[in-house]
Amino acid sequence: MERRSLTATIFIHAFALLLAAVIVAPVIWLFVMSISSTADLTAKPLHWWPETVDLSRYTRLLTAVANTEGAAFVAALFNSLRVAGMATIAALLVAIPSAWAVSRTPTVGWSLYAVIATYMLPPVALAVPLYMALAALGLLNTVYGLALVYLTILAPFTTWLLKSGFDSIPREIESAAMMDGARLDQILRLITLPLAAPVMATAALFAFLLAWDEFFYALLFTSDLRAKTLTVAIADLAGGRVSDYGLIATAGVLAALPPVLIGLFMQRALISGLTQGGVKG
Amino acid sequence: MSALDIIGVRKRYGTVDTLKGIDLSLDSGEFLVLLGPSGCGKSTLLNIIAGLAEPTGGDVRIDDRSVVGVHPKDRDIAMVFQSYALYPNMSVERNIGFGLEMRKVPAAERAEAVKTAAKILQIENLLERRPSELSGGQRQRVAIGRALVRNPQVFLFDEPLSNLDAKLRMEMRTELKRLHQMLGTTVVYVTHDQIEAMTLATRIAVMRNGQIEQLATPAEIYERPTTLYVAGFVGSPSMNMLDAHIADGVARIDSSDVVIPLPYETSAKGRPDQKLVLGIRPESLRLASDGEAPAFEANVEVVELTGPELVISATVGQQRITASLSPKSDIQAGTRRRFALDADALHIFDKETEKRL
Repeated sequence: MERRSLTATIFIHAFALLLAAVIVAPVIWLFVMSISSTADLTAKPLHWWPETVDLSRYTRLLTAVANTEGAAFVAALFNSLRVAGMATIAALLVAIPSAWAVSRTPTVGWSLYAVIATYMLPPVALAVPLYMALAALGLLNTVYGLALVYLTILAPFTTWLLKSGFDSIPREIESAAMMDGARLDQILRLITLPLAAPVMATAALFAFLLAWDEFFYALLFTSDLRAKTLTVAIADLAGGRVSDYGLIATAGVLAALPPVLIGLFMQRALISGLTQGGVKG
Repeated sequence: MSALDIIGVRKRYGTVDTLKGIDLSLDSGEFLVLLGPSGCGKSTLLNIIAGLAEPTGGDVRIDDRSVVGVHPKDRDIAMVFQSYALYPNMSVERNIGFGLEMRKVPAAERAEAVKTAAKILQIENLLERRPSELSGGQRQRVAIGRALVRNPQVFLFDEPLSNLDAKLRMEMRTELKRLHQMLGTTVVYVTHDQIEAMTLATRIAVMRNGQIEQLATPAEIYERPTTLYVAGFVGSPSMNMLDAHIADGVARIDSSDVVIPLPYETSAKGRPDQKLVLGIRPESLRLASDGEAPAFEANVEVVELTGPELVISATVGQQRITASLSPKSDIQAGTRRRFALDADALHIFDKETEKRL
């Protein structure tokens, strides 16, 4: 658009800035809260920027001294990493073959829709059966039990995402490989999966985020440091008689870091994964 | 020796008969073109030969061995797809050598074979590139190279030129012809383009509604089409089809007083008032000199110079007719002129059965 008028250009940039502000503002406020002293946070009128930068809460949360908020937080951080990591890997292991099968065999496509349909149920409807099942298996309050529950949420979602990724890879390529003498596992390993790498990265990241952010089941199925995840730990910080808003904000910032780092790390793959199918060739 | 035999092959998808009994036999070194509009079953037939689909009935034999139920990789065939179907994540070299790699051919031998194929196709300088860095014509060459390197019994081509622009398509067509002459391989080639079929084939199978309408050499298809459908499909501009009927041993063109004499055997066999279609190729018409016969008068409506020829649109009675004349012909739109044709250039079809008489 070479011929855009000055007003239109200003208009477009103004709205781009507004959109960015709306999206970024809460995050910035979260960060500002985490480095403000309690006095600054409770002052009237509110101090939008703290008079002194206070990083003490970060050290408080990232300590390993037993029986402190820090110990609980760090344990929860590792629990979250383990649960989300295990659930994501397991979900991909389930989703890759099933998505490929559904994509290449349209006649079994209904099964995926049936699975997606269970997705429509509110989590609370499944809470009791899941609780009883986990209790029977002795998996309550374990990271494995929680990862198993998350797998049931992640697998349909990743399968669905991967299916559309596989759909965009022409079947002719696989036919050609088949005639070239490649076995099924060779076709998948050498041709299809490398081509689907961007969408697999996207699926993995979204699955990880979903598991990382999950609160309801984590709250129900975990009870102490052995399995409690970050979302529950943050809620615990707010659950006492005196809530330190700065501390909650700090926990929020720290909880956001791992997914952000993973996202940055996979940025290139992610963007091509998100735009795949929209652009040809 | 026959390289490929197709015996009574039928294919049914649900309630739709896509192929209704195909029989053909291909000698070693033949170039067979399956020609027809989309939906005629030609691609299905190719897929059945390739093993990407299994026939509902009948037998497919390659080198006198039944291959029904045999995995595509074990059929001794190679296929070039319409979309090229190159592996985007691999270099051109690996693309071409992939079939050999999967068949555990030693690396040195593989590299040698790839080099030979690349040399034949003049893509030696592209071996390091990725498919995304190639033009359409180059991708096509790589796809052909991938088939070539395996040296199969039968090559299968599925509309390989339809994704190329017109100029490139002509170049690649000549290239394919050159390759076939050089290598003498057996080819089955699917297309809907009659020019490709005419130029490349040693034999053409014109297909319609899951059946072979006519199986013959290009010259025979052009000169003696056995049905109206084949006559209309091959040739450009397409054949004139004039409705006529038999009257007093000659053909009278409907809605006009033009009569064309019929060969003796046709008029002898024909019933009085039998409805006919007279097929006349535009290029077999010429301006009549005085007293020349058979000839007829037509109203010239449009004159188009295409370069090598002058295309005339005219009417005979109520019926349209196209003539393709020498560009130097002296003819103007809006005049009434006499056109002559040779008696043996007349294709006579029964209107009801659509068969040649």
